Amino acid sequence: MPRPILYVLLVVVAASLVPMGLVYKARHSRKTHPRIQVVYDMDNQYKSKTQTENAFFADGMAMRHSPDGTVAQGQLEADDALYRGQVAGDTLFVETFPVEVTSEMMYRGQERFNIYCAPCHGASGDGNGLVNVRAAALAEGTWTPPTDLRGQTVIDRPVGHIYNTIKNGIRNMPAYGPQIPVSDRWAIVAYVRALQLSRNASIEDVPAEVRASLQK
Amino acid sequence: MAPEKIDQNRDHGPDSPEDSTTTDKFVFPKWVNLLREGTAVAAIGGLVYVVVLITGVFSPEMSAMGYAPVQPVPYSHALHAGDLGIDCRYCHTAVETTAKATLPPTATCMNCHATIKTESEKLAVVRESAETGRPIPWVRIHDLPDFVYFNHAGHIQSGVGCVSCHGQINRMTVVEQAKPLTMGWCLDCHRDPDPNLRPMDLVTDMTWTPDGDPAVLGAQLRAEHNINPSTDCTTCHR
Ligand code: HEC
Ligand code: HEC
Ligand code: HEC
Ligand code: HEC
Ligand code: HEC
Ligand code: HEC
Repeated sequence: MPRPILYVLLVVVAASLVPMGLVYKARHSRKTHPRIQVVYDMDNQYKSKTQTENAFFADGMAMRHSPDGTVAQGQLEADDALYRGQVAGDTLFVETFPVEVTSEMMYRGQERFNIYCAPCHGASGDGNGLVNVRAAALAEGTWTPPTDLRGQTVIDRPVGHIYNTIKNGIRNMPAYGPQIPVSDRWAIVAYVRALQLSRNASIEDVPAEVRASLQK
Repeated sequence: MAPEKIDQNRDHGPDSPEDSTTTDKFVFPKWVNLLREGTAVAAIGGLVYVVVLITGVFSPEMSAMGYAPVQPVPYSHALHAGDLGIDCRYCHTAVETTAKATLPPTATCMNCHATIKTESEKLAVVRESAETGRPIPWVRIHDLPDFVYFNHAGHIQSGVGCVSCHGQINRMTVVEQAKPLTMGWCLDCHRDPDPNLRPMDLVTDMTWTPDGDPAVLGAQLRAEHNINPSTDCTTCHR
């Protein structure tokens, strides 16, 4: 076979490996550009979706807030005790739960506490969650250590006060109202009370059936 | 092409000495025989090549999987959800109850960053957003076509973990799409969800693995909670 033809063939074969190599590389690496779409179909329709941009509104957000001074149906929140943890018509905090405390609610409270409070206050409520550990190590001077939830200060707080702390925050603690709905806030308050009890409990508080397993 | 008639008396030039000594007929050199096999090989090879290339280019691995756009803030899930152990639902609050998982508002970041790393250059965009009230322009990563209906709540409440559809987010410094999100992928699980089911309180646990065969536990959970993912077109196209 004449040399030039051989060379041309070799070059063609070698060149054909280049696109393959590029595809291989693209399949096995991170991409910062979005998917290439040859045919768009109806993938991106002219409509506004959750958390998207919309240039029509001055603030650029597609999702709208209800206008000032309006209340949606069922959102009047007139019950002071339930929604604000306060005695009706007063600024005093309620001492008893405005909702029924059940064991189901306790488990819910435990789960929610571990999601929203444990990063700072720790799973046992001792005030030494992983975020506190990290922030303390950074020693920037702006961080306040979270309160020990089993300490006397919080034991003495009425349940309505703890509810209000969750809803609106307190001093250096941010408000968790926007992240946690009302029923879950009360569930967390109940669980905080349980943590306080468990910290200061004696063996007599444990049901007789399981007491033996602890004393082993 | 070989000439039909050859002029015997033609004076051959000095540039073709062999021709004059052997024969005047044009004879294909021997290697030309290879053309027949060569063409067959080239045709089959070319076809395979084109098919492989096209499937390669148009498969989801090519462009959808591994998509990790540059975000306006160098926020890291590996740090927050991994090292600091913050639960997914701390930020993606709506994931259990609505179709959308939703990204956290700037206020959620400020819960901590009002007092942690307050001077950090990397958080300048977050502080600016908190001041102006304009949301941080996060770039969307997972994006189904608009004609597909998807619902997070339905999956989370059936005990499908985030990790099944988003991969090991708790190890990603930059979020990237880990699964193809094609119709075939959705259907694979809808036809046989058992290996992907877990107890409902463990949906956000990124490292949980069942003791024993996941399919066995899955089958049990499935019977217990009556989970029957549908493969009707109208489930996802409505
Ligand atoms: C970002 C970290 C952080 C998170 C998350 C957090 N807290 Fe706090 N919390 C604090 C800090 C800091 C303080 C102390 C505030 C101070 O003294 O300035 C505090 C104080 C408290 C107190 C004591 C307030 C008082 O009466 O003096 C209670 C009760 C409390 N937190 C409950 C909760 C509950 C319940 C949650 C979960 C919904 C929660 N916290 C989540 C940081 C946090
Ligand atoms: C501290 C808040 C925070 C926590 C905790 C968190 N995320 Fe995120 N998540 C974000 C932010 C902010 C973004 C948008 C920026 C980005 O993509 O990196 C995001 C983006 C994502 C995305 C990509 C969204 C898209 O555009 O497609 C996924 C998937 C995701 N998170 C899953 C998870 C999972 C799973 C967990 C729990 C292991 C988790 N997140 C925990 C804040 C958080
Ligand atoms: C529960 C507390 C908490 C929340 C909520 C939180 N972060 Fe952080 N973040 C931290 C801590 C603690 C660090 C510091 C870790 C370290 O460097 O030691 C940090 C570090 C960072 C850094 C790196 C800063 C630097 O200079 O190294 C960025 C960027 C960041 N966070 C972005 C965000 C964004 C965006 C959000 C909101 C989606 C967010 N964080 C929400 C606790 C939090
Ligand atoms: C059954 C698969 C599946 C599971 C399980 C799942 N996701 Fe998603 N997720 C998706 C798909 C698909 C999208 C893209 C949705 C779209 O484009 O509309 C998405 C989008 C997101 C987004 C982007 C914002 C949004 O809501 O569109 C976030 C954040 C997210 N998921 C977080 C989570 C978290 C946190 C969990 C676990 C609690 C989770 N996902 C569980 C499939 C899943
Ligand atoms: C890892 C498994 C898995 C994957 C992947 C998955 N699904 Fe599902 N899907 C389920 C399960 C389990 C259910 C719950 C069925 C039930 O409730 O009986 C479900 C239910 C649904 C429902 C009904 C939810 C409702 O609220 O009625 C829709 C819609 C749906 N899936 C769409 C999708 C789409 C679209 C995709 C692909 C982007 C997808 N799913 C991927 C497991 C999965
Ligand atoms: C479990 C959810 C699910 C079900 C059930 C489902 N699809 Fe889909 N379908 C999808 C998703 C997700 C996509 C988008 C795929 C992509 O972007 O690659 C899609 C895309 C499509 C497309 C567009 C393909 C393209 O190239 O743009 C068609 C057509 C379609 N589906 C038809 C059907 C039909 C017909 C059925 C019933 C037999 C069906 N689908 C059932 C999830 C589903």
